[in-house]
Amino acid sequence: MDRKAGAVIELTIRQLRHRISTWVVLGVGVLLMALLLAFYIDSVRESFEPIDNDGDSEDNDGDGYPMGQERKWGTPDWNSDLYPGASEYIPESDIDWNDESRTKSGNKSWEGSAFFEASWVDDQYTGNWWDSHIDWNLNQEGMPELTDCSDWELEEIIEGIWSAACDLGDGDGDGMTTYYVSGKWRGEGTATVPEDFYLSWGYWTEEVYVEPEPPEMYINEDGIDCFEILMLGPDDRVDCPSETRISGSHGFDDDGDCWATNEGRGNDDNKNGIRCDVQWIASNGVVTRIEADELVDEDPDEQEYIGELGHRTFVIAVGKMAFIILLGLFIPLFLSLGLVRDETENGTLHLLLSKPIHRAEFIIYRLMGYLAVSGSYVVALSLVVGLISSILGPGDQLIRFSDIPVWIGIGAATALVLAAYGSMFNAMGLISPKYGVYLCIVFGIWEFMMGSFSIVNPNWTVASVSISHWALQMIDAIVLLAWPDTIQWAEMDRAFEINSGLSFFWQPPVHTLGTTSAAIALLNSLVVLLLVSVIWILIAKSVFSRREIM
Amino acid sequence: MTIEQQDPPAVLIDQVSKWYGQVIGINDLSLAIDGGVTGILGPNGAGKSTLFKLMMGRIRPSQGSVRLFGVDPWKNTSPYRRVGYVSESEKLYEWMTALDFVTTLARLHGMTREEAIERSAHVLEFVGLTDVMHKELGKYSKGMRQRVKIAHALVHDPDLIILDEPLHGCDPLARTSIMSVIRELGEQGKTILVSSHILEEIERITEQIVILHNGRLLAIGNLHAIRGLLDKHPHRIMINCEDPRSLANLFVSEEPVFGVRFPREGQLEIQTNDLSAAHAILPSIVVSSNQKIKSIENPDDNLDSLLGYLIKEGS
Repeated sequence: MDRKAGAVIELTIRQLRHRISTWVVLGVGVLLMALLLAFYIDSVRESFEPIDNDGDSEDNDGDGYPMGQERKWGTPDWNSDLYPGASEYIPESDIDWNDESRTKSGNKSWEGSAFFEASWVDDQYTGNWWDSHIDWNLNQEGMPELTDCSDWELEEIIEGIWSAACDLGDGDGDGMTTYYVSGKWRGEGTATVPEDFYLSWGYWTEEVYVEPEPPEMYINEDGIDCFEILMLGPDDRVDCPSETRISGSHGFDDDGDCWATNEGRGNDDNKNGIRCDVQWIASNGVVTRIEADELVDEDPDEQEYIGELGHRTFVIAVGKMAFIILLGLFIPLFLSLGLVRDETENGTLHLLLSKPIHRAEFIIYRLMGYLAVSGSYVVALSLVVGLISSILGPGDQLIRFSDIPVWIGIGAATALVLAAYGSMFNAMGLISPKYGVYLCIVFGIWEFMMGSFSIVNPNWTVASVSISHWALQMIDAIVLLAWPDTIQWAEMDRAFEINSGLSFFWQPPVHTLGTTSAAIALLNSLVVLLLVSVIWILIAKSVFSRREIM
Repeated sequence: MTIEQQDPPAVLIDQVSKWYGQVIGINDLSLAIDGGVTGILGPNGAGKSTLFKLMMGRIRPSQGSVRLFGVDPWKNTSPYRRVGYVSESEKLYEWMTALDFVTTLARLHGMTREEAIERSAHVLEFVGLTDVMHKELGKYSKGMRQRVKIAHALVHDPDLIILDEPLHGCDPLARTSIMSVIRELGEQGKTILVSSHILEEIERITEQIVILHNGRLLAIGNLHAIRGLLDKHPHRIMINCEDPRSLANLFVSEEPVFGVRFPREGQLEIQTNDLSAAHAILPSIVVSSNQKIKSIENPDDNLDSLLGYLIKEGS
């Protein structure tokens, strides 16, 4: 390299080394990584609590049966009166307000209004207060004691008796008393319904005792199923992800809750014509989409998947949030803003500018010196964090070698971000030596916001007017290149609600120019970031070349 | 101050003006300098630093052109291969040792590390800092710092050396050593520009001077010639002696002396219209007076009176 370049770069490195703020910001970076690793170690050492993804181990109505068991029996989990084996009312028939035949005899459970000539009434027939069960108020002989309405007008009776009964006496002398009843009751006798009134009747089934199942039975009870060969019996099922990734109808409703809820939901949500299945869509051996019918494979064993999912989520989240957004923004803010500006402010610039070096060269060499410090720092840091986490991570090998390219990619992408922000902040320091720092903070906030939005939704166009967006795209692309099955894992995370966060922190790269190639997305982002750096260097150069140095 | 036809002069200032908003730094200045030591004299604010900044490409002329070895330093840094610049700024990299500092800057001239160290050690020896060259600059005295700055300006063996107030703030010992360094460089045949606002300093270095005032070129040429003009005008000579009155008797009869005063006890003020003539007779009178003379001062022989005279003459 040019000797002058070497000299300026070396000078810059030594100057940065002599500043406390350099050590503070780099030290904070190391602390941040140590903290994140500590969190990771903490979560690895604790085995994962099994999670009831579909919530069917809960007993919401407090009847002692978990929701999964109630689903199988078809009883609701919001009504404590209705539970597996509970006595059930079966309606038989009714007399409508305009039916011709207005009498009915028998031993029934009645509901409505009628003159009832009773041979027997059940005073134990009770229920909730709003159900207007009749209180027969039995005396010691077991006879009902009610209001005597034997000499009331019909109108008076009909209007006066609601949710109650009154005694009309034994008018025909056959030994059976007639009552006017309006409400719910059970008894044997003949009911005569007045004109314009309504009465229905039925019977209650025998209550059967059903053993309540333990709630644990409904945790992790419906795992992710795949088929080696499409559409064979349950014995051909293997755990997902299987080696063969074939498009088609996979999935099996192990706990039967999809089949149990036949009406409305839980049938064919993915509209592939097959009820209670999971549609896997793959291209070139890579699963790109998983669409599950509701309540199929919805409660997998986290232990089986969350190790891998959690590990990838950690790598991606640390790469995006800690490296790209935090280190990527703060290191340049502290180290690059004053790269050239501080020389002016310190009055040492003339020492350098009285040498045969062009001002533009000077900017570039200074940036190179800054990058030598900050870039090697982030690359080294990413490798150390990567090595530690790949030893701690799941898998049989001592080190997860497939992680290493991802971490190298994270380090390289961060270094590129440092270059882009570095040249931008340096230019701001030159454009306005006094207020540049505020300009940088405004830009920093913008970048932080756009970065955060890009993590959530990389498709949002506005966010692409930011450096962080393209850097995050690089991470997405690198992850897909190093771990091609990440789409499948993210889809599994999303489709089966494993909640590892992978599908939140990672989405397939979007800037693929219409292909779905991660390599193109990577190249695309690389070009954008380099271009941004060059543009800011040119801006800085044009400002600095015109500046008179007093 | 010879302008050679074949080679462009080291410094060529052609009708240059520089103003900062309403304030004029340099006003229509034309100047060519090549070879020898030239003192740039002028009071503070006369435009000396502005002139140097223009030469060093730090600022851009509002009008006219500046050329170093025929090249515009604002647009092209190539002349700096042959230029050494000692700025008036005191700021150095305090955490570096002198050797380190000079070496680092030497490498900006494209030297290898080894070359740079060798050259730096050499120039530090030249300015007399070999003993302390491994000490941090932060611990250096004012005079040592000035010499480090001179060393860095010399490290690439430049043909043109520009020194902006190199003696400013230095103690007498440092002044003397820096002056001898500059004189020696002049003897090596380099083109040297030294600025100062103190006539006496420049006088001890060179006779070739440029006087600036309010951004204008007030005088250019031999210091003694310029001074000779001044000598024909009323001047004071202050003599501190044991018996001023008896000494005064010897002077009043002499032709160049037109008056005497006794401003203080033991002090004689001689008023003359011809300073050099007065000085010519002064030794013989002093000897004949048989008195012990403590000191002889020329209070009017400074830049202010020179300027005052030149300005009066110009108007």
